[in-house]
Amino acid sequence: MRCLVIEDEEDTARYVCNGLREAGHTVTLVRDGVNGLHLATNEHWDVIILDRMLPGGVDGLSIVSTIRTLGKTTPVLILSALASLDERVRGLRNGGDDYLTKPFAFSELLARLEALLRRSAMQEDVRELLIADLRLDLRTRRVERAGKPIALQPREFRLLEYLVRNKGQVVTRTMLLESVWDYYFDPQTNVIDVQISRLRQKIDRGFSPPLLHTVRGIGYKISADD
Amino acid sequence: MWRNVAFRLALGYGALAIGSMSLISAVFYVGTVGVLARSIDAKLLSVSDRLARHYESRGGDELGQEIRQLLADGIDQDTEVYLLVAPDGRDIAGNIAGWQKPKAPLDQLTDAKVIRNGRPSLSRLLPRLLPDGSVLVVGRDMQDQREIEQLVWHALLGGGAVALLLAIGGALLFRRQLERRVGAIRRTAHEIGAGDLSRRIPTSGVEDEFARLNSDINHMLDRIEQLMGGVRHVSNAIAHDLRTPLARIRSRLEEALGPGKSSTQLVATAQFTIQQVDDLIQMLEKLLQIAEAESGAQRQSFAPVGLASVMTGAVELYDAAAEADDITLLSDVIGRPITFGDSQLLTNAVMNLIDNALKYAGSGATVRVRATEETDTVSLFVEDDGPGIPQDERSHVIDRFYRLDRSRSRPGNGLGLSIVSAIATLHRGQLNLSDAAPGLIARIVLPRCDPVELTRGETAPVAAPA
Repeated sequence: MRCLVIEDEEDTARYVCNGLREAGHTVTLVRDGVNGLHLATNEHWDVIILDRMLPGGVDGLSIVSTIRTLGKTTPVLILSALASLDERVRGLRNGGDDYLTKPFAFSELLARLEALLRRSAMQEDVRELLIADLRLDLRTRRVERAGKPIALQPREFRLLEYLVRNKGQVVTRTMLLESVWDYYFDPQTNVIDVQISRLRQKIDRGFSPPLLHTVRGIGYKISADD
Repeated sequence: MWRNVAFRLALGYGALAIGSMSLISAVFYVGTVGVLARSIDAKLLSVSDRLARHYESRGGDELGQEIRQLLADGIDQDTEVYLLVAPDGRDIAGNIAGWQKPKAPLDQLTDAKVIRNGRPSLSRLLPRLLPDGSVLVVGRDMQDQREIEQLVWHALLGGGAVALLLAIGGALLFRRQLERRVGAIRRTAHEIGAGDLSRRIPTSGVEDEFARLNSDINHMLDRIEQLMGGVRHVSNAIAHDLRTPLARIRSRLEEALGPGKSSTQLVATAQFTIQQVDDLIQMLEKLLQIAEAESGAQRQSFAPVGLASVMTGAVELYDAAAEADDITLLSDVIGRPITFGDSQLLTNAVMNLIDNALKYAGSGATVRVRATEETDTVSLFVEDDGPGIPQDERSHVIDRFYRLDRSRSRPGNGLGLSIVSAIATLHRGQLNLSDAAPGLIARIVLPRCDPVELTRGETAPVAAPA
C-alpha cells in the first residue's frame, strides 16, 4: 500500500519507514506540516501516518481536519507522545481513525494500519461471518462450528466477531481492549490473554484445525491455515 | 514610619478623633462664652435705653444724679461702667477716665481700654449721643469675662494637646501590637523561604482574626510540606525502581557483546531487553496517569456515569481471569448509583482493585464487587476473603511504590492503589480500606449524582462503557 508518513523526529521516522518498507509497502516521508498538508491533499494515499507536533506552523491535527473538510476518507493514524485520554479524544474528534501513543512497538503500528485498511475496504452489511467451519450469525448472535452450536457470552461474541472480521491478520491486545471493550487505557495485566484462552477453549477444543493462534510478542490472529 | 500600615491607621484614627473633638469644642465654646457675651450686650442696650428715657423725662442734671446713684448702690460694683460727658467734653458723672470719643458713629458696641476707678480696664462700651450733644456711655468691665474665655480656651487647647499625645501614643502602641502579630508571620515566611519547610507560625491562645489567619496559613503549609514530602519520596522511589531493571538490562547487553554468542542468544537478549523496557514504560505510564488525575484537568470532560455499567464492564473483562485462577467473582448492584465523572477512569480504578483482589486473595477465594447507592454518596466495593492488609500498613499502601511484598518477588510496581486513590480524589471522593475479617474491603466513595436532576437536564445520557 502507498503510505504517507508525516513525522519530524529522525529516529521514529526511520523506524516507521524501514518497518513499512520491510513489510512490502511504498513509503513517502515528509518532515514538516506544510509539505505534509500539501502531499496529503494533492495525492492519493492508502493510509496516512502523522505525528501531532510538527515544525512549520501546521500541526498534525490541522492536517487531519483539513483532509476531512475536503471530503477525503483516507484512513489516518495519529502518532503522538501526548498520551492522555483527552488528547486521544481530541485526535479522534478531529478526524483521526486511530491514535497510537509513543513509544510503540512496530508490530502494533502495522497491525493497526492493516485493520484500518480493512475497515475502509469492507463497509458493506454482512449478516454472517465465516472462517473454515466456524459460522457467526450477526443477527441472532449465534455461533456454530461444524454444525454444533457454541454458547458464548455477549462479550465473547464481540471478541470473536472482531477477530473473524480481521481474519488472517494479527490484532494486538490494545486493539482488542479498544475495539471489544471500549477501554482506552492499558490495564497492564494478562486479562486479554485469559479471555482469549477461554474463547479458544470454546471454539477450538474438539475441533480441527485450530483457528485461534497466538502471535508471540504481538497479539492474536484467527486463520484456518496455520 | 509612614510605610507602616498600623501607624498610618492609628494616626489617621487619632486625627479623626481630634477633628471631631474640635468640632464639639467649638459648639461648646459658642454655647457658653458666646451666649454670655450676647446677654451682656443685651443688658447694656436696655440700661442705656432706660437712662436715655430718664434723660428725656427729667433732663441732663437728673441723669447725672441717677448715674451717681447707680454707681453708689452697690449692685454690679465690680463690673459696671457709666459715663456722662457734657457737650463741651467735660465729664459730668461716671467711673471711667481716658475715654476718647470714637471717630466711628456712636450707638455701637465697642471694646475699649479705659481707666476704671483708677485702674486700667478692658470694657465693653455702648456710647449714645443725647439730644443736647452730651454723650452717655454705658458699659461693662470685661476683665472677668475675658478671663473665663481664656480659661475655657486654655482648657480646650490643653485637652486637644492631650488628645493628640494619646493618639500618637495609641498609634505607636497599636503599631507595636500589629507588628508583633505580623512579625511572627513574616519571620516564619522568611525561615520557610530559607528552606526550612517545617516552620509554623506560633499560635497564641487568643481566638482573633490573626489566630484564624495563622491557623489557615499553617494548614496550607502542612499540605505543602506533605506534598513536597510525597514528591521527594516519589523521586527517590522512581530512581530506585529504575535502577534495578536498568542494571539488569545493562548486564544482559554486556553479556551479549561477549565473544561466541549465537544468534539465538542475541535474539533472546533483545527480547528480554524489550520486555524490561516495556515494564519501565508501563511504570512511567502509570505515574503519568496519577499525575494527570491529580492535576484535576480531566474534570472538564466529566459526565454522569452509572456505576453499575462501570462495574459490569470491569467484571466482564476479569471474569475469565478469575475463572482461570478458580476464584469466584461476584457482582451486585444496590439502588441506582450514579456519579459525575469519567467512566474510563472509574473503570480503571475498579479494575485495579479487582486485579489486586485476584492477585492477593489467591486460588479458591471469593471476590465480591458491589456498586451501591447511599444517601449522599455512591460506592464501589471490592471485597475479598484473602489475607487482607495489616492495619498499620493500610494507610501506606496508597503511597506510590509502596509494596506489602518487600522482596518484590511478585509482579507489580506498587502504583495500583495510588492510581485508584488519585482517581477517587479527582472525582471528589476517596478510597477507604477496611478489614473484611478475613480479607480486605476496598471502597471507593463518590458523591452521588441525583438522577432527578439528570432527567431535568437536556442532555443527560448515563455513560455506559462497552
